[in-house]
Amino acid sequence: MKKFIFYLFTVLLLGSCTEQLNQIPLTNKELSIFLRTEIEVEEYVNATYAALQANGLYGLYLPAMGEIPSDNSFDEVPANDGAIYGDLDEFKTIPANGMLDDNWRVSYVAIQRCNVVLDRIEQANFKVAVTKNARIGEMKFIRALLYFNLVRFYGDVPLVVKETTDPNVFFGQGRTAANEVYAQVIKDLTEAAAALPVTNTQAGRVVKTAAQALLGKVYLTQKDYAKAKTELGAVISSNAHLLLPNATDVFALTNENNKEIIFAVQFGSGINSNTEGSIMYQQFAPSNTVSGAKGHNLPTKELYAKYAATDARRGAYVDLAPSGAPFNNKLKRPTTVITDGGSDIVVLRYADVLLMQAETENELGNTAVAQTLLNQVRTRAKLPNTTATTQAQLRAAIDLERRLELAGEGHRWLDLLRTGQAISVMNDWFKAQNIPITVTTKHLLFPIPQKQIDTDPAIKQNTGY
Amino acid sequence: MKPTKLSKWCLLLGSLLWMYQVQAQNPAITGTVTSESGEILPFVTVLIQTPDGKTVQGLTSNEQGIFSTNVLKVGNTYNFAFSYIGFETGYLKNYVVKEGVGGSLLFRLKPSVSNLEQVVVIGYGSQQKRFVTGSVSKIGGEKLSTYSSSSFAQQLAGKAAGIVVNEASGQPGTNPQIQIRGIGTLTAGRNPLVVVDGFPLTEGTSFNYINPNDIENIEVLKDPASAAIYGSRAANGVILISTKKSRSEKVHVALDMYTGIQQKADKVEYVDAYDAATFFSEARDWGYVSKNPANRSVNDNRATRISKGASLRELPLNYLDPYLQKQPGLTNTNWIDEIFRTAPMSNYNIAISGSTAKTSYYTSFNHFNQEGLIINNGLKRYSATFKIDSDISDKVSFGLSLNPSYTDQRFFNFNGGFDEPIGAVKAMYPFFKPYNDDGSYAISQQIIANGPEDGALVENPVASINLIKNNRTFFRMFGNTNFTYEIVKNLKYKLMIGGDFAQSTFDFYNPSFVGAYRIPAPKPATASETNATSNNYLIEHTLNFIKKWRLHDFNVLAGYSFQKENGLSTAINGTNIADDNIANVAGASAFSAIPERDRWVQVSYLSRLQYIFNQRYIASATYRTDGSSRFGANNKWGRFPSITAGWIFSQEKFFPKQNLVTFGKLRATWGKSGNNQIGSYGSLALISGGNGANNYLFGSTLAPGFSASTTPNPNLSWETNTSYNFGLDLQLLNKIDFTAEYYNATTTDLLLNVPIPEQSGFSSSLQNIGQMRNTGVELSVAAGNLRLGKIKGAVNGNISFNNNKVLALAPGQTQIVSGAQSNIITKVGEPVAVFYGYQVTGVFKTQEELNSLPKLPGTLLGDYIVKDENGDGAIDQKDWIPMGKYLPKFTYGFNGSLEYKNVQFSFSIVGVEGRKIFENNSALFEESGEGFSVPNKYYFANRYHPVNNPDGFLAQPNLGNFSANRRATRASNLFIYDTDFIRLRDAQLAYNISGSWLKRLGISVAKVYVSGNNLLTITKFRGYNPEATTNSVLTSGQSTSNYPVARTYLVGCNIQF
Repeated sequence: MKKFIFYLFTVLLLGSCTEQLNQIPLTNKELSIFLRTEIEVEEYVNATYAALQANGLYGLYLPAMGEIPSDNSFDEVPANDGAIYGDLDEFKTIPANGMLDDNWRVSYVAIQRCNVVLDRIEQANFKVAVTKNARIGEMKFIRALLYFNLVRFYGDVPLVVKETTDPNVFFGQGRTAANEVYAQVIKDLTEAAAALPVTNTQAGRVVKTAAQALLGKVYLTQKDYAKAKTELGAVISSNAHLLLPNATDVFALTNENNKEIIFAVQFGSGINSNTEGSIMYQQFAPSNTVSGAKGHNLPTKELYAKYAATDARRGAYVDLAPSGAPFNNKLKRPTTVITDGGSDIVVLRYADVLLMQAETENELGNTAVAQTLLNQVRTRAKLPNTTATTQAQLRAAIDLERRLELAGEGHRWLDLLRTGQAISVMNDWFKAQNIPITVTTKHLLFPIPQKQIDTDPAIKQNTGY
Repeated sequence: MKPTKLSKWCLLLGSLLWMYQVQAQNPAITGTVTSESGEILPFVTVLIQTPDGKTVQGLTSNEQGIFSTNVLKVGNTYNFAFSYIGFETGYLKNYVVKEGVGGSLLFRLKPSVSNLEQVVVIGYGSQQKRFVTGSVSKIGGEKLSTYSSSSFAQQLAGKAAGIVVNEASGQPGTNPQIQIRGIGTLTAGRNPLVVVDGFPLTEGTSFNYINPNDIENIEVLKDPASAAIYGSRAANGVILISTKKSRSEKVHVALDMYTGIQQKADKVEYVDAYDAATFFSEARDWGYVSKNPANRSVNDNRATRISKGASLRELPLNYLDPYLQKQPGLTNTNWIDEIFRTAPMSNYNIAISGSTAKTSYYTSFNHFNQEGLIINNGLKRYSATFKIDSDISDKVSFGLSLNPSYTDQRFFNFNGGFDEPIGAVKAMYPFFKPYNDDGSYAISQQIIANGPEDGALVENPVASINLIKNNRTFFRMFGNTNFTYEIVKNLKYKLMIGGDFAQSTFDFYNPSFVGAYRIPAPKPATASETNATSNNYLIEHTLNFIKKWRLHDFNVLAGYSFQKENGLSTAINGTNIADDNIANVAGASAFSAIPERDRWVQVSYLSRLQYIFNQRYIASATYRTDGSSRFGANNKWGRFPSITAGWIFSQEKFFPKQNLVTFGKLRATWGKSGNNQIGSYGSLALISGGNGANNYLFGSTLAPGFSASTTPNPNLSWETNTSYNFGLDLQLLNKIDFTAEYYNATTTDLLLNVPIPEQSGFSSSLQNIGQMRNTGVELSVAAGNLRLGKIKGAVNGNISFNNNKVLALAPGQTQIVSGAQSNIITKVGEPVAVFYGYQVTGVFKTQEELNSLPKLPGTLLGDYIVKDENGDGAIDQKDWIPMGKYLPKFTYGFNGSLEYKNVQFSFSIVGVEGRKIFENNSALFEESGEGFSVPNKYYFANRYHPVNNPDGFLAQPNLGNFSANRRATRASNLFIYDTDFIRLRDAQLAYNISGSWLKRLGISVAKVYVSGNNLLTITKFRGYNPEATTNSVLTSGQSTSNYPVARTYLVGCNIQF
């Protein structure tokens, strides 16, 4: 008996040992040993694209943030969903706004994914070197796009371009000056344009013209018209893109990633248990038109009225519900589950590039060139050539054309900011609507999400909030 | 211990001595002191006195229980007093010493009934309460069972000092929070370790699987020194459960049953349909007008309003006119009455036990059934216990226990949202009915009726509750076998092998024919199923050496334990459900699955030395090292020492012998324990993906994506609780036990899910950072054996004070802001989770006030006046002030029992003082005045309206233009409620039936009783549940209409054969 117990004791004591204290995750991979192969890098790259689908980015909020403060769209029931849309619409935005909070967070989640890939991709062997270069370009484009959005909405924002290893170092970092952020955006886009292929191997991937078009937009925003002209000109002369003859085809579900689209965030209905769709269609549908409709970011009646009866975009871009409420017809109704919308969200397309180049040429004094570019867009809309002749008239004509052509794509508020008209246009708008709201310089930036300041008081709030 | 051969030899020797002493002047008197059963009692104190009380001699018996004296004079009369710890003092009076012959005495002592002599389980062993130096509360099963519930956890409330039980939800089967000596952690698990008969269950495990009827005793190890023997899992306290064993040799059968009803006992009341109509009209009118008072009038009709740009919420509800005209007999549904009910509860238990010479057994079967206060909600449990203990030989014994159970729960996820019953009911307008005239459910009527004006688009909760299936079943079996071998005398080896197997299935189906928030039926049906299993096993070797040597008592323990848990779960979500014929996931045509697996391992070495000198000086030390797979590569092993000391000063010679203070002990402990509740892979940066958030679609090609979901921290380790405890135990008049304790517990290396600046790409990071301190005082007093004529009684009371302070957070971090309104703040230098907010002082009723007083941005007439706390002329977040916290200033319990002949009465009172809660649902709904949901009567009676209620002091109802002022004042004193309460937790009146006919039937005990839970609660709180809180420490006290706790009336009986 004693021997037996001694034996048992020894076996059990020594048999079950401390090497078991190192347990590896069973249903997760581990970052420290990830991104060593081409396949693993591709997985991370895919996840970086996927971050753009988040509700805080192109899944829902970004198109609203870029438009709902403007005269293009409004919130049907401003108090709905904690007034996160209504407050932007009515210039009552508080720092605790949940939309901004989410947008800030997922912007940096996506940026961090770019940083991880860019910091580690060199250690992975790719079968084809071009592919590796393309991925580098894609990540730089996405990082630049996100910073460009952040800096336009919030002003100075913290700039992080390295993989996070010690999260505590960010306490006290504070906000980086907007011009430094812009410098990084230009650097990333310039390098991306050099690394990216002219045509992609898979629909939806970033191409060279996307980087050039975005860089053109950055220069335009900075009023560096010469450089803008170069970049936008490169896009136009690449002949990689064109205007589709029919406006109805541009956003057709059956015609996604067409020649007019330069970069779009991809969505699809009915894929992988409805995990690749967006809820934007449902959220942006007028009340009582579809199940669960929220009436957020609806086109205004006034915008609809600006489409001439002959304008091919009337109905195709903005249509009327049976109740008479205008809605954004660039978002297509999902065929199955209403929350699983399949419309891609277009970030850059050729019509935008043409109108930007028209703006650039007009600002450079090349009125005739500007007219021609503008007329390309008008012609496709089945409209006569512009009657604007002076630089000022053309400015207004291009401005209106951008409203009509790009309605519902999240441009109008950013256009008003870029052209410096935000305060005057919006105050005129509210006066005409008989709504006692006054827009001031404070409203040109959104507040920094309160959560960021609560977490680290080194991040200071924008003036006036 | 039986009399040994050696002691017999000593008796003989004693006799020889006596023969020798015959020659001397005084005869030798020799005696032996034993227990009633004949066990030798060593070192018994013997006091010999003359009848007039003069002490002749004081002496001590030897190791064999023998004493002798030769100073007693022939012919004289003496009194003997024998005292021994654990036994009542025995007296031998009027002993006459006879001429020429000595005497040989044999005296038997009766065991004491004092609390001091109870045996207390202390983890890997037990000890007499008299010698316990740590802070251990022992609660007997009979004291617990006066509160009828599914688990022991609810029963613990108020029963011992330092233990706070928060029943945050009354949903049957929900674990209450057990908080031992305050909160010692911020974001790691807060669950105490539960050890059943030596087997530690996984932290956070449900308590429902332990049948309360099987519990003999619960010991709670409160100070880290006592808990240190459980190392890295003990910082939140350890609850040791000892289950029942056979008590007698013959077969004993005990039948217990009770049945009764539960009632809702809160004060929540919503307005009726006519008042609701007034409220909704006021809110919609004011919302419309306040947007542009110059251009809009309350008299504008619908068309005018639309033409002036009114949004949907600024239009009058289309169906309200008959209500506003006060037409009688209109639909006026009280939705609270529709979803709540009087619910039955019952328990049936049979326990059979007995023993033979070598083997004892205990087995029980239990059926517990508790319906919820909410319709179609409840818990059923079937459980059994099998337990055998056997002495195989003099040296070898063996034990086995098995505890299988099966639980069936109809469950709701009560989160305050519109898709659960209590969340929905606040937004259900009384103008709608739950049933159609033909008895069928009225589906989506409110959603459709409210559509045109965007009222609350909420589905009939009576229909949802009954039509949505959410069933959970749990099978669980845990148990252990143990084997003890006495290697040599005084040295025992014990092997324990324990196991815990759990399997659960969650079955959810939401059919197409009932709507959801904003979605009228028919909607797409959804289904999901989650299957989870876990197995956990433990192997433990211990060696225990117990030796008494003269005045020294030694108890040495050394052990090794290995524990491992494997968990596996698969959640399947089904979509594209064509019809409702198959009401589960099998009806779906598209599926997604979330598989999860995890595993942890813990390896421990433990040791303990206990030493007692001369029954009065006590010292002990423990040392445990734990290695855990959960922690970072650089910090796998943790060390948990403790030392304790005790001094029974009443045993000292200088301590006057009197009957007032019959026992006194001072004790002090120091020790460390840990908290490792952070999930299995907290130290690694995990990559997750393959899901919607990580996969991408290139055109129509799905591309699997993976990305980091957590930050790495290879240094991650335990949170360490280092604590001092000082205690004083007194026994007065042999029957009143008094205990006072002071503790000071500091948690260092706080496991904190630190909110980090989000430019890092992450929102939080798990780190060992920060410090927190809990200090407190606990007082308890218990008096048994009280008599008043024929009435016997026992009472006990306890009160606990706790002070909590955060000493440090992450470097550079001064606060953690949490809470639904970002108003619950944990700051360095303050207690955890303090409510902050604006101080509302009134309502703006005139334009002059609005122009002159400082105000929040966006303030309208009818909105709140906020106090400018810092006097800077502006109202902003700098004007927030602290407004209390959930952690109470003190808690108390008072328990008593009275017995008169065959009648017994017992009761238990618990109370909480200095507690506040933040009711987010009041802030958002019932008392917000936003004309979206139905207000409660308090808000409606006190709302401001310039015409209908000009004296009101709550803001004016407003829907379409609910201002930034109103949203900001959600974080204000208005929604912080005083939830102090005193509650008659349980009361029981029992009658013991007696009579010879019972004996003839073989019945030894027949008791019938009536009892009640929560019969009376005195509180100012007007919400559902004054104990409401969240699971997260950082949002302690945030309530979202938490499920109320029932008042229960029961009848029961207890029959024993």
